[in-house]
Amino acid sequence: MKQEQKYEEALAQLETIVRKMEANEYDIDQLAEQLKTAQQLIKLCKDKLTKTEEDIKKIAEEK
Amino acid sequence: MDNEHYSLRQLNLMVRDAIEMHLPDEYWVEAELSECRERGGHCYMELVEKEESTHTPIARASAKCWRQTWQILEPYFERVTSQPLRAGLKVLLKVYAQYHEAYGFSWIVTDIDPTYTIGDMARKRQEIIRQLKEEGVFDLQKELQLPLFCQRIAVISAEGAAGYGDFMRQLEDNPYGLHFDITLFPAIMQGEQVEQSVIAALEEIYVQSQQLTANGQKPFDVVCILRGGGATADLSGFDTLALAEHVANFPLPIITGIGHDRDESILDMVSHIRVKTPTAAADLLIDHLQQVLLRIENAQQRITTAISQKLSTYSNKLTTLQTLIPTLALRILSNSHHRIEMLGSRIPVAIERRLTSQKHRLENIEIKLQSFDPQTLLSRGYSITTHQGKVIRDPRQLKVGDKIETRVEKGKFKAIVQ
Repeated sequence: MKQEQKYEEALAQLETIVRKMEANEYDIDQLAEQLKTAQQLIKLCKDKLTKTEEDIKKIAEEK
Repeated sequence: MDNEHYSLRQLNLMVRDAIEMHLPDEYWVEAELSECRERGGHCYMELVEKEESTHTPIARASAKCWRQTWQILEPYFERVTSQPLRAGLKVLLKVYAQYHEAYGFSWIVTDIDPTYTIGDMARKRQEIIRQLKEEGVFDLQKELQLPLFCQRIAVISAEGAAGYGDFMRQLEDNPYGLHFDITLFPAIMQGEQVEQSVIAALEEIYVQSQQLTANGQKPFDVVCILRGGGATADLSGFDTLALAEHVANFPLPIITGIGHDRDESILDMVSHIRVKTPTAAADLLIDHLQQVLLRIENAQQRITTAISQKLSTYSNKLTTLQTLIPTLALRILSNSHHRIEMLGSRIPVAIERRLTSQKHRLENIEIKLQSFDPQTLLSRGYSITTHQGKVIRDPRQLKVGDKIETRVEKGKFKAIVQ
């Protein structure tokens, strides 16, 4: 995978893929590949969110 | 008779006789003392009467007070007038004339009326006060103010005097730990030299106060004229016009503590503040500075309170923000999660739809294709004939003897064209 991708970029890319899927802009051959990419992006975003959430909770508990 | 000679003694005895005969009584005489000395228990005086406007003597005589009388008169006079009999005073004396052939003429003092001297002194004081008021300087000192930080004190006092010692002790032992800088300008505080001596000290203070100290300040805040300790005090030296003028015109506030409970001296009247004793002068200075200290401490207290209130307000705000931030951040995160979930859930739908439509398309094509399947035609009874792999659509493609193959529904057979 690419080096450390920013959350916003990842999200933007994911949105583009979904939008294109919904607009039938991919041919069938591309579909599986884009789905794979989309799933990777979703995991990346979720991981980032989870990690951030843990960090925030930890900071909040520190006081 | 004209030619008769007398010895001096004979003649003097005649004078003595004449005087004793013609001045047999005692008289009350008003005079000013120009000299007054005690010797061997007796008091020897010089009486003078001066012309009022020019102050030139217009009468002069010796006077004596014998020991027995003097022993009574001296303490009596001092008790009533609060000062010893001395040169410069106006006195009312009861005298009789005595002429001694060997020692000459003398008035012999048998009594004294101190109230006359008091009255004369009072009159002189009134005169001085009137003059000070006329000059417009009587209240000048009252218009001055003690500086807030009144700590550098010029003292005019007799070196080693009890009153000065009291003053120093009182200042040094003040319970608040206040610091005072004291400079002594020694002066004679008793007798005839008081005026000159105190004026000289004032002038010295004035000269020094014109020179700024190393940190650019004037060296003195206040002047204290101090005297004390003695039971009865001779204050007449402080009741002179020249001294009063110097004090009244002095640019620094002057505190007098010249120790007496009787009438104020003129010095007290013209000074900035009068107190009774040097100790009281010290107390006044301590109290004054203590008030300033209180003001500062009060201000300090208020500043501290105000700041700690501010700090506590900010701290509360921070605490609120601190608890708010994670909540907000978590809300943002939760929104982001939701967004991802939404995005993610759209993908299978989109793919499903896409795949379904493709499948549909394929099915349609399949159906269409099916209609083109030769097998379908064959099953309906049609047949297909080929010659060398080519489908025969026109008999003219064949000539007699060509071997042809024909497919029907359930198989094929070969034939020869006739």
